[in-house]
Amino acid sequence: MVFKKKVIIDIIASFILVIRNFFFLIVFPYKRMRKISLEKDYWQVFFIFLLVFIYFKLAYSLRHVTYPAFFTFFVFLVNFFLMIGFFYGVGKFFNRKIKKTSLVFTFSYSLLPTLIWFFMTLFFYFILPPPRTFSLMGRMFSIFFITFSLTVLFWKLILFYLALRFSTGLSFFKIFYLISLFLLWYAPYSILLYYFKIFRVPFI
Amino acid sequence: MKSYSLKLKKQISEVFIIKPNDLGSQFLTYWFKKSTLFLKQFPFLYLIPLATLIAFLVYLFLGKKIVFITTFLQYGF
Repeated sequence: MVFKKKVIIDIIASFILVIRNFFFLIVFPYKRMRKISLEKDYWQVFFIFLLVFIYFKLAYSLRHVTYPAFFTFFVFLVNFFLMIGFFYGVGKFFNRKIKKTSLVFTFSYSLLPTLIWFFMTLFFYFILPPPRTFSLMGRMFSIFFITFSLTVLFWKLILFYLALRFSTGLSFFKIFYLISLFLLWYAPYSILLYYFKIFRVPFI
Repeated sequence: MKSYSLKLKKQISEVFIIKPNDLGSQFLTYWFKKSTLFLKQFPFLYLIPLATLIAFLVYLFLGKKIVFITTFLQYGF
């Protein structure tokens, strides 16, 4: 009984930590990502993945996309661990001390901008369904939506860079090479996913 | 007192988990550190104006085609 209570308290604490970390990634991305790279509590990763699954489930039930949520979530997991495997494997050439756990935690938290963008796009899809028109309001919304998308994209790039910086310990140029190598296979792979209508915009 | 010193010790060891960034030349490293300093705390203060500027420039260059980009992105989920 005491053991069960402890587990439940741990789970609640992890959930609160996820919310706290989300907030701090907005305000202090550098400091927070450094702290996240030292995390060992896998319940936090579970909650982030749960959010991803909730998004897929929502998208499937509201928009009736081609594939069921379980399948899309499975593809997401394959993508995620392929990406981590790539950075771990290639990063080992530059630095032998890379930790897998650190990569898992930092990349899980770098999903926050992705989640915000996809949830907001889902929301806008129902508030102002596409296609957009050439009217003044249509153009104004377009500028707003592109501003929002770019802001989230820049934030994502910062978190992605910090995730690599703190989990691999490499310098700026080496991280730049790593990302370039990653894009060499990930870009065609994303086109393939687009072709099969699994992800139109890469869920990374 | 002991807990404060432990906390400080933990924070210091956290700061030094990675080596400082070195871009090969002093000039580059200096400017890299200067320019990224703003992104370490509440980056949105700079990201939102930058994104707004880019969105306006895209609108100026592409005109009405911006609507197509938005439509494509809105179908993106």
